[in-house]
Amino acid sequence: MRSGRFLNETDLETIAIGAAILGTGGGGNPYIGRLRARELLRQGLKMEVLDFSDLQDDDVVYEVGGIGAPVVGIEKFEHGDECLRALRATEHQTGRPATALISSEIGGSNALEPLITAAQAGLPVIDGDGMGRAFPEVQMSTFMIYGIPGTPAALADDKGNSVVLSSTRDVYWLERLARQVTVEMGAAAGMALSAMTGAQVRETAVPGTLTLARQLGEAVLEARAQRRDPVARVTELLGGVRLFEGKVTDVERRLERGFTRGQVQVSGLGDFQGESVKIDLQNENLVVWKGGEVVASVPDLIILLDLESGEPITTEVLRFGFRVAVLGVPAHPKLKTERALQVVGPAAFGYSHTFVPLPDFNPTTPHKEAADVLDPR
Amino acid sequence: MSWIHAEDLPDIAFGAAVLGTGGGGDPHIGQLMAAASIRSNGPVELIRLQDLHDDDLVVPVGMMGAPTVMLEKLPSGQEALLALQTLETHLGRKVRALLSVEAGGLNSTIPIGVASELGLPLVDADGMGRAFPELQMVVMTLHGVSATPMGMADEKGNAALLRTIDNRWTERLARTITIEMGGSSLTALYPMSGAQAKVATIPGTITLLADIGRSAREARQAHGDPVEAVRAVTGGFYLFKGKVRDVERRTVGGFARGVAVIEGLDTCAGQQCRLEFQNENLIATCDGEVLASVPDLITALDAESGEPITTETLRYGMRVVVIAMPCDPQWRSPAGLALVGPGYFGYDVPFVPVETRFPARSVGIELVGAG
Repeated sequence: MRSGRFLNETDLETIAIGAAILGTGGGGNPYIGRLRARELLRQGLKMEVLDFSDLQDDDVVYEVGGIGAPVVGIEKFEHGDECLRALRATEHQTGRPATALISSEIGGSNALEPLITAAQAGLPVIDGDGMGRAFPEVQMSTFMIYGIPGTPAALADDKGNSVVLSSTRDVYWLERLARQVTVEMGAAAGMALSAMTGAQVRETAVPGTLTLARQLGEAVLEARAQRRDPVARVTELLGGVRLFEGKVTDVERRLERGFTRGQVQVSGLGDFQGESVKIDLQNENLVVWKGGEVVASVPDLIILLDLESGEPITTEVLRFGFRVAVLGVPAHPKLKTERALQVVGPAAFGYSHTFVPLPDFNPTTPHKEAADVLDPR
Repeated sequence: MSWIHAEDLPDIAFGAAVLGTGGGGDPHIGQLMAAASIRSNGPVELIRLQDLHDDDLVVPVGMMGAPTVMLEKLPSGQEALLALQTLETHLGRKVRALLSVEAGGLNSTIPIGVASELGLPLVDADGMGRAFPELQMVVMTLHGVSATPMGMADEKGNAALLRTIDNRWTERLARTITIEMGGSSLTALYPMSGAQAKVATIPGTITLLADIGRSAREARQAHGDPVEAVRAVTGGFYLFKGKVRDVERRTVGGFARGVAVIEGLDTCAGQQCRLEFQNENLIATCDGEVLASVPDLITALDAESGEPITTETLRYGMRVVVIAMPCDPQWRSPAGLALVGPGYFGYDVPFVPVETRFPARSVGIELVGAG
């Protein structure tokens, strides 16, 4: 009998901080999810995390997460069993009960959602996810990029309704139909999809991201306690670069087709005095511009942290006067293959520039080979 | 009629247009699809409700969406299969017989094509006895039958399985999905046991459709009065005869809403009739007085040919006879009226059965007979 690591309340706090950092400005606020998860722990439920090495080839793993507008999630509280009912509906359609769950996206509120569902269902959660960050659409996951059909996919709402999308023409149609159903359900729903074997999870998921989120949270709390620079610790842990530091001098933000879109102007401070950058937003931070040049671009992670506290700043709270550090973090290699760039590269967001990856400083990233294996398919 | 052959379809489609009360979609496309299917797969067995075993799985099938879209976006023929498969997978059972959701309009002939395609019998019954714009407006709702689990599919290969807390939520979610699917979809819903179908549907409506079509055709062939033939076979009443003077039509919330003003002819000369519709004809008034209202059936027929006229094709200059037919008694219960009565459609008038308003039928007949 395999046994993973069991999470405690402190883990939930640190995972929530790390998930918000990996949310690259979007992904929804993990705070409410953290409170709900904590409540379940206090009721005596268990949250068990398994490594990739614990996966059996014949495991049945489902991707689980919330779908909808993050701003709605703050006002319209979940009933609490949306994802669980979505999971049950998907299982019913496939006829294959889950043996483990995995997060759709580690960035933002969906880091905690599968932990809650897994605790309710008595299942373990795999240490990994389908994005290694946050993205706005369902098909933007490594699972689907590398050929896992998203369907059957189920949506469940707070009222007791559920819709199973049993087959769709392709993953873009899955996103279209799921999005419209979510809007009708009240702009927030729980979703369970992408039935996978253990072998498929190993092949397609971004590994170790729950642990990474926890480590990020721990580093931030520790640096704050020791009065050291949390931004430096986060940068180091992520193998990223500090692209810029400055004060937010202008925020232009609008709601467009269900997305928060806009642009942020940051004027340099300290070493960056006299310079300025612009950051494009679409739920997440997408592109950093200096003059007419791209400094960093999606799918690489662009993270805004409060200069003092290291607190991640989401696109919806961003406003004039914030002092921020702009970090650039190389995306996981599974997001940078030719195949992946078609789905999550600049062109997928309407840009014409070619993706130039940030240098990968992290010597512990072992996934170069994995990406090479995946690409030719 | 225990088998439906391709040559039976024109009569059925005619009858469906009469019970369509101006809406429900043009049965012609469904007729063509059914004819093509019967030619390659053979005729469809029409069974009676009492022929069903109590534990048979009976599933109504029908198109959902805007009738105008269905005229342009033709179904591929695979949607029904996919919608039914989705439902069968969920239930873990095979369908024993199909049923029409609504006998009025397009959804009369669609299940015939599907039944032929799948080699399944069709039950001689339906869920409305007419046409209505929303999917919870079936007598099954009055009997507590849930619309879900419901399967639906489009021509692109997309399919969904819905489970909802009530039939209005089914309508909301299925409508949204239908719009995203391109404005029309094929649905398999209200799965029932044979025992449920025996009490929770309206019996004999497919036979009635064929009878209406045959009566009108025979009257035309004998140079008789097809309008009177339709009225007689449906137990209807003449409301008005006249010339369409004005049609005001707009699309509101996915529905064709509007009003036709009809200037009286013959015995109705000097009077004015207003026919208000929302996809279907809802209420007919004459000089401010209600003549008939939903859920009773109101249909405008061409004064010469007896051909039923849809709300989409109604236009200036047409000479029409407006008839009203009593709806199935189930619709006249308090629950039925709450679901589909004048109040639901925004009219602050009490429902009065058409036969109560027109106690002397002979007066009505003379009304037109004089013209």
